[in-house]
Amino acid sequence: MLQLTSITKSYFQKIAVDDVSLSLNEGEIFGLLGPNGAGKTTLIRIINQIIEPEKGEVRFQGELMKRKHLAELGYLPEERGLYKTMTVYDHAMFLGRLRRMSKDEVNKSLNYWLEKFDIASWKNKRIEELSKGMAQKVQFICAVLHEPKLLILDEPFSGFDPVNVELIQNELKAMKKAGKTILLSSHNMKSVEEICDRVALIHQSKKILEGSVVQLREDRKDGRYAVKFKGNMLAFTHALWTGFELLDKEELSKDRFIAYVAMRSENNFQDLLKTLIGQIEIEAAWEVLPSMQQIFIELVTSK
Amino acid sequence: MNVSWLVAQRELKERIKTRSFIGMAIAGPILVLLMVYILFSVGENNKPHWKVLIVDPSGIMDNKILANTTGSISYDFANDYIQLKEFEKSNRFQKYDALLELNEKILSNKAAFLFYKEKPSFLFATTIQFHLERRLEEVMVGRFSKMSVQEFRGIKQPISIAFRNLYDPKNESYSLSGWVGFFFGAVILLFILLFGMTILRSVSSEKSNRIVEVLLASVKPRQLMFGKIAGIGIAAIIQFIGWMVLVSFGLYVMRETLFPDMMDISNWNLGEMANQATSGMEDSLFRSKVYNDFVELIYSRIQFGDMLFFFLLFFIGGYIFYGTFFAALGATSGSENDGQQFVLPIMVLLVIALWAGYYTMQNPLSDITYVLSFLPFTSPMVCMVKLAQGYSLGEGYQIYVSFSILALSSYLTLRLAGRLYQNGILQFGHRLRLTQFISWLKHG
Repeated sequence: MLQLTSITKSYFQKIAVDDVSLSLNEGEIFGLLGPNGAGKTTLIRIINQIIEPEKGEVRFQGELMKRKHLAELGYLPEERGLYKTMTVYDHAMFLGRLRRMSKDEVNKSLNYWLEKFDIASWKNKRIEELSKGMAQKVQFICAVLHEPKLLILDEPFSGFDPVNVELIQNELKAMKKAGKTILLSSHNMKSVEEICDRVALIHQSKKILEGSVVQLREDRKDGRYAVKFKGNMLAFTHALWTGFELLDKEELSKDRFIAYVAMRSENNFQDLLKTLIGQIEIEAAWEVLPSMQQIFIELVTSK
Repeated sequence: MNVSWLVAQRELKERIKTRSFIGMAIAGPILVLLMVYILFSVGENNKPHWKVLIVDPSGIMDNKILANTTGSISYDFANDYIQLKEFEKSNRFQKYDALLELNEKILSNKAAFLFYKEKPSFLFATTIQFHLERRLEEVMVGRFSKMSVQEFRGIKQPISIAFRNLYDPKNESYSLSGWVGFFFGAVILLFILLFGMTILRSVSSEKSNRIVEVLLASVKPRQLMFGKIAGIGIAAIIQFIGWMVLVSFGLYVMRETLFPDMMDISNWNLGEMANQATSGMEDSLFRSKVYNDFVELIYSRIQFGDMLFFFLLFFIGGYIFYGTFFAALGATSGSENDGQQFVLPIMVLLVIALWAGYYTMQNPLSDITYVLSFLPFTSPMVCMVKLAQGYSLGEGYQIYVSFSILALSSYLTLRLAGRLYQNGILQFGHRLRLTQFISWLKHG
């Protein structure tokens, strides 16, 4: 769907993006991660043809990216604004028309989204009359109004309350299901973990990591397991004996704990469960994978 | 639909809904009319007495002129040729403030010269012109026509008086019609300043509320800048048309109510006139005549077709020339309050342009005026004045040269400003410095 090859861009001798290549597949949600100032927004602006790279090329559906392709792109920038004195309708009409939609198409699509978000009564309200959360919904609607094949979202969850984060996440999942491709730049690692299929990490203008979320977490697991149980902590420790090592514990209540355990010698997860059954009342047990947040911090701080 | 046009439409809708636009559309013409009213009602009271010597060697005037009812201007006649040096130095002419020279061709070329020692006020100049015209009407009717003076006034050609400084008769000159050009030129500059500042505010507010990044995903920076300049420019033209309609209507209403034409017998209200003290009525009659002459100057003597055509051309050219600077400034500033220090040079240029218009009225034939008429930042003002004064035969091409230079300059500034706009529009939070400005200008 979208290929970026060796993109390089600098601003007055300061390199913002250095030889970055990416590839997005159709129907996937791709997370673009990186600390502030890493070059994510520059990369997104290059895809949107807002700025031109010094080196490299962008291909959209196999063709060299041109302005004509922008009608197929939706973009919600990190620093987004609205014309405060315009109504929701006028705003959507203006941005929709800029995306080459006809008036009828804008009307139809706007009504669909307003009803979907249950905000049809806002249609003729001026932006300045809306709360921040309301305005953010309008911004999201304006980005997807023209049913883009590729939706680029730069920090889409910033400023949203948890209910609206959930709402937007669900919409993104639904769009993915409908075959749309989504490029998501976010610092919200929980959301990235939940909805992204693949991610790339940009740090100091370079791409330092790319892969599927599941695989990246799998690759960085350290053999830790968690057991949530009801019973006595002493009994749990005795049961482990020499085959396992207790790394950490969380006390949930007087007799409920989560214990983090590492294997010794050839022992595995099955052995651990066998050892514990009968000693304590196991409520849940799982292999602990590093979170995207941990991976992110580890990679960024180690460089 | 062209994206620039969509941007322009949005900008236009936004502008014409604002209170400041509506307020300006009403307050502007009222202010103009008020100034005209004050000029003709109040401004005349404290003028000194003027004594004018009419040099009429051919005896066309027959040593007669319409009596000056206010007594503020009096005339003497001389029926022989008087050299300007003699008039300037001879003791017997020291009591005169001005010499009005009528040559034998005045009935055909409708041109006369007035050499003044001290520049006459606008009101005095209008009055002298009015007196001369009225007398010549009588002469013309007496000599060539069987029509009444009233009928003749309907078809006559206006007289043009060139006002010149006695001490510098070759260079110093202005005509009343130059003031109309000055008004048009001043309106151009006023609108450039007001709507230029609107461009600046609009660009920097789009930048500070970050809507600009959403727009740039659909519109090129240059298209966005051009659409914005065009939309605000159309709003300015609508504002100007509104001004013209209201001012024209207001002048007409003032003519019918405040300054009725007392020469027209249908406007005589004998009862009221009888009730007025004689001096008061005379004063009122005089002022009405001066005003009517002024209105006639505006309505009949100026080539409005040409004026409006070139006004539009020079307005558009001048507006783009200056407007692009305002847009570039808005785009390169780091915040809405940043970049104010760069507005000052633009304001200075506009003030210079205003001065250039005034200078042109005083010195229409000077070399400096000639140069100023071609400089893009002064030509919108200077050319309006020159156009109203009338280009000399064979010099009409100059206005096209001036406009071509302005159009070319506007195109160049549009390109340069486009470069600044493109480089600066997505830069936030900095403090604009000249070095940065130049650096963005260099990077295409």
